[in-house]
Amino acid sequence: MDILRNWKIHLLVLIIVVMSENLGVIKYGLIILLPLLHALVLGGIISFPKFKILSTKQMEVAAGILPIAMMLLIVKIGLDIGPNLSLLFHSKGALLLQEIGHFFGTVILGLPIAVFLRMGRESIGATYSVAREPNIAIIAEKFGLDSPEGRGVMATYICGTLVGAVWLSILTGVVAKLGILHPYALAMGSGVGSGSMMAASVGSIIAAYPDMEQQIRAYAGAANLMSTILGIYVSLFFSLPLATKLYNFLSKFQSDKETVKEKV
Amino acid sequence: MNKLQNMTVAMILSGLLMAVGNVIGYQVDWYSSLLGVLVIIVIGLIGMAVSQVPGLNKLPMVFWISIVAIIISLPSFPGSAWVIQITKKVQFLAVTTPILAYAGLSLGKDIELFKKLSWKIVPVTLAVMTGTFLFAAIIAQFVLKWEGAI
Repeated sequence: MDILRNWKIHLLVLIIVVMSENLGVIKYGLIILLPLLHALVLGGIISFPKFKILSTKQMEVAAGILPIAMMLLIVKIGLDIGPNLSLLFHSKGALLLQEIGHFFGTVILGLPIAVFLRMGRESIGATYSVAREPNIAIIAEKFGLDSPEGRGVMATYICGTLVGAVWLSILTGVVAKLGILHPYALAMGSGVGSGSMMAASVGSIIAAYPDMEQQIRAYAGAANLMSTILGIYVSLFFSLPLATKLYNFLSKFQSDKETVKEKV
Repeated sequence: MNKLQNMTVAMILSGLLMAVGNVIGYQVDWYSSLLGVLVIIVIGLIGMAVSQVPGLNKLPMVFWISIVAIIISLPSFPGSAWVIQITKKVQFLAVTTPILAYAGLSLGKDIELFKKLSWKIVPVTLAVMTGTFLFAAIIAQFVLKWEGAI
């Protein structure tokens, strides 16, 4: 990875950062648009294959820097956990149990829709997790990426990369503005196990509740840490079997499921 | 250049971009922004070093970087108040913007793959993301109430 030789990428990021921060936080009613969202969209437009501004290799360099830059965000969030440790300890039950929501929420909401849309066994791979890299590895090992399950997890991975952060940022902003759920609960919800999605989601909660900024980040950071530690095991031993069982159950109600399975 | 050197360069570079955003977007002065980012980078590098220790390297780097940052920020850790005061000057949103800019610039290669997928994956992905976020938040809300934390 020739980080310094690809100066074009860094120059573009500099330009994007200057533009995005100048635009600042934009609010339309319930919708909050953060600088990080401007940056994601501007970057996406610049990298659009039709414009031929960046080569695939340069895009890969950008993708390689992403997880390293993310480490600095992890530091920033980690530094909020120490001072709030007693607060977090006071809500250890919530921190532990909310993970159930993280791991099964994808199946409960996603699988019925996938089955309804007749996606066949791809439904299992597509909805058993948030389809980040460790989840792809699990499916690759159990079914192979050429299997329907493998195509499903890759589809959610690609689509999630493109729309996940944007969607979570806007969704979280709307839910936060509705004021039904406490910002601490939302903060834990945002620890979905993907750095950019968490950043987008946490940003929207903070924009809605700026006076609780530090606690919000502490809860999000703690929840994200739990997702990182537990993630692989829970999705392998619980989420995947649940998704498979639920798929077999739901597809019983579709008379022509075998033919559909072949087509997708 | 080996992998760790590359990572160090990338951390410093993205840190500088965060400092730029911090000055432009949140009217923090250059000195505080650069100092804050420098401290964050140093903590990141310590975490990176810890994650390379044989035996400890079984867990991912993101875990060790979190742990190092948490320990340094504990009130009983020497100098933690100074670290927190210095790094507070770097706004959370300023840290996120360059990261998402890099993410954005890498999207082009996924757009081609995306075109080959059925439209069905869009509602399914949105449901997956909504489900994981909302169900966790709803459970957290009930348990926080029950624990008397809110």
